[in-house]
Amino acid sequence: MSSTLRQENEERAWSGRDGWKILDHDVRRVDGPDKLTGRARYTHDVRLEGMLYGRLVTCPYPVAVPAMNLEVALAIDGVEVAIELDQSRNEYGATVYLGQPIAAVAARSPELAEDAVRALEVSYDRGEWAVTREQALEEDAARVGEGENLVMGQPRGDIAEVEQELEECDAIVEATYTMPVQVHASMETHGAVVEYRGGDEATVYSSSQYINAVPGSASRPLELQASQVVGIVEHMGGGFGAKLSFGVAGLVACRLAKEAGAPIHLMLTREQEFVCTGNRSGSYQWMRGGANKDGSFVALDTLIRNLGGLGRGSHPGQPYLYAPKAFYTAPGFVRTHTNASCPMRAPGRPQASFAIESIVDELSHAVGFDPLEFRKKNLPDEVYHRQLDRVAREIGWSEHPNRTGPPPPDELPEKAIGIGFGVGAWDVPGQPDCQARVQIEPDGSVTAISGSQDIGTGTRTFLAGIVAEELGLPIEAVQQKLGDTRYGPAGLSGGSLTVPSLSPAVKDAAVKAKLALFERVAPLLETTPDNLRAAGEAVYLADDPSRRLAWKAVCATLTTGLSEVGEFRAELAGSGVHGAQAARVEVDTLTGEVRVLKMVAVQDCGIPLNRLTTRSQIQGAMIGSLSYGLLEERLIDADLGLQLNPGFVDYKIAGISDMPEFVAIIDDEDTRQKVTGIGEPPVVPGQSAIANAVFNACGARVRDLPITPDKVIERIAALREE
Amino acid sequence: MTRSPDPNLPDEQTRPEPEAGGFTRRSFLIGASGVAATGAIGKASSKSPATAADPPESTSGARYEGELEVSFVLNGEVTKVMVEPRTTLLQLLRHRLDPPLTGTKEDCDRGSCGACTVLLDGAPVYACSILAASVIGREVGTIEGFGTPEALSPVQQSFWDHDALMCGFCTPGMVVSVTACLEENPGASVEEIETACSGHVCRCGTYPQILAAALDAGEKLKEGK
Repeated sequence: MSSTLRQENEERAWSGRDGWKILDHDVRRVDGPDKLTGRARYTHDVRLEGMLYGRLVTCPYPVAVPAMNLEVALAIDGVEVAIELDQSRNEYGATVYLGQPIAAVAARSPELAEDAVRALEVSYDRGEWAVTREQALEEDAARVGEGENLVMGQPRGDIAEVEQELEECDAIVEATYTMPVQVHASMETHGAVVEYRGGDEATVYSSSQYINAVPGSASRPLELQASQVVGIVEHMGGGFGAKLSFGVAGLVACRLAKEAGAPIHLMLTREQEFVCTGNRSGSYQWMRGGANKDGSFVALDTLIRNLGGLGRGSHPGQPYLYAPKAFYTAPGFVRTHTNASCPMRAPGRPQASFAIESIVDELSHAVGFDPLEFRKKNLPDEVYHRQLDRVAREIGWSEHPNRTGPPPPDELPEKAIGIGFGVGAWDVPGQPDCQARVQIEPDGSVTAISGSQDIGTGTRTFLAGIVAEELGLPIEAVQQKLGDTRYGPAGLSGGSLTVPSLSPAVKDAAVKAKLALFERVAPLLETTPDNLRAAGEAVYLADDPSRRLAWKAVCATLTTGLSEVGEFRAELAGSGVHGAQAARVEVDTLTGEVRVLKMVAVQDCGIPLNRLTTRSQIQGAMIGSLSYGLLEERLIDADLGLQLNPGFVDYKIAGISDMPEFVAIIDDEDTRQKVTGIGEPPVVPGQSAIANAVFNACGARVRDLPITPDKVIERIAALREE
Repeated sequence: MTRSPDPNLPDEQTRPEPEAGGFTRRSFLIGASGVAATGAIGKASSKSPATAADPPESTSGARYEGELEVSFVLNGEVTKVMVEPRTTLLQLLRHRLDPPLTGTKEDCDRGSCGACTVLLDGAPVYACSILAASVIGREVGTIEGFGTPEALSPVQQSFWDHDALMCGFCTPGMVVSVTACLEENPGASVEEIETACSGHVCRCGTYPQILAAALDAGEKLKEGK
């Protein structure tokens, strides 16, 4: 191997961008045809010989001791397993959260499994519960586990300084901002298909964002070693953070398989998906902020209460991306008898964004300052300044009549137009846990292989794209193998980690494979390996491009295939991304209905590996924010202890008719020649921009999401009375 | 002929009227379990291997026995399959065929997400909300009949070109509804396409690309005509 050549190739990193034909271009996703024709196999679609259908039974109450009759279910012909799940109970044997799984069955058909569930005839002895923040904080509230329901964290900042600064401020705003629990609601529910027939090996198909963690998790209920378990996820119907752990569905599927000694197919029902697979923690944030007429954000006092059920919830802390002169933040969380929160797309950031962007907006209005300029003045990171200017141009801020605020309540038009802004960030470095492999065969075929997974974000496409770019081939020439623990170590797909962790390893493998190929064919072309280049489906001499061999001919000289493993290379991975968004809304001041007319995002990400899928990712995030801002809310009746909307009928998710015009701009002023992930950051500011736009349109400041018509009309009515 | 799930049937001549025989899956299931409480529905004339053994006496579990043959046209081919009266078209497609047709996705199973959309006599329906028994003698079109990875249909090609899919789980249903909409009217307006897709949920957020893909495919279909 030519050491100088290798060095040269390794040093050049992501250079040569100007000449790229695939990366940094619009490239259709390689698995598109399979998905569009129904050929793509998801976990839900796996069918195995002798497979039994598992069903989970969840407790409809938050705290209850269930009693059931397993024998009746087992008496049904074709019902093979019925088990009670009694883990995670309190000292009285009661469940500890609404929707906790309490039993599972397995039968020879889905219909029989339903019969078995009905036959269990579960009865419930209900206990005391606390399922909302208010309920949990009552003096005689039911305790949620050990200790107090309110758990306070370590405060940050200087309260004395804040008090002092607030005394001198031109304007003070005190307000409480709340956000409901949001449910991931991936289209494919959680679940697993476990191929186990007794013996000492198993294959577990899992709808997972982290297939390499599945063997370890599955091995325990299967009573096997992790090395005896293979994990597979070919295609995956969305996760958004809820499928990072194997989860209760997977664990129960394994337990049923162990009991039955037969393969199990267990996918949660939609209703179960809504109650026991995690969620985005709700948020209660009280704030007191001060600003001066010169547009300076002087001080901020914040109390944060995460509402993550049995979990701690997520929050990065305030003042998030802003820099008031003084701040004090008292974090904490309130525990309730509801399903524990888990990571959801940019955990905690939309919550932080909504409160801070709202109070920033309120303060700018209170001191009579342009909200766009107020933001720029108080965001220390200047990248946001150019991004905010860009979104302002796209949304038409300079021509907007309400730049200094909404019209007086008695002068509101029937359809009021408003514009609002927000910014967001994400900062994770690539993880050194991914390997990738590139194989070149004598017939010219090329395969890119990784134990990572494509959760719908386009991982297969950049896997093939990086290799094809390096070898000078069309992307169609590179096969991909992904989502199988036998393909090598790889990390999770969450936190926007896949691109910065996996793509450097793919690039490394592709470079090594190319150099290995050059090494082998150099004698044939009567040159040295470092004089060879690959482009245009051919290998040619750098100093005499007319001397070239077609790719197939080059590979035909190989007596055996070659295979190279690539490792993570930190210098190829970037971190720290910025985004700004603007929303233009129309508020019907008679009905309170809010319609988003246009959303604009400017997002940096270093090198976009695929501009098409990057824009889709940004746009999809904006849609998620719109949905959270206007529609989504997990509703629980505190007295009845029932979740009222566990399904798509009553838990509203934005549909095609709710769509505004979208402009998703990749910030090409970002000159970093590194790659980063883009899944999280654009989901942060959208709902904040919409809330600010609603205020800007009509003066209705909605501080509790979602912004439903009743809240808007109530506030307009209140303004008119004042 | 009967329009109701007479417990003393089925026989092979039983063929519900179009429009799903005038009963919904949910009301049928409620009715069926009421019947089942007094005993099994009929006696199975042919049993699937899953219920081959003599059933125990029904105790408290609501359940019933028996299967009927559903003969219908599936993606252009006459297909016969034995199912229980309660089996939905979705379950038939995904679990009762060999090989199963899993392109039609199971998601909410309650007619609220659109992932299981198929064509029934050319019109898009939720397969989870149609009883298998009600498609006897009718034509069912699933995503598997719409094109192949090597030869995509114009709508599928347009979806691909516009990146109108991400995780892909809602995608087959979307393709079915958009195709039905454009076959009826290639010049469908934005509003008409939105109406056609309004019964579909996409959590990744691909609606704008779906709309763009549908409009583009409509243009191409018009040119082709």
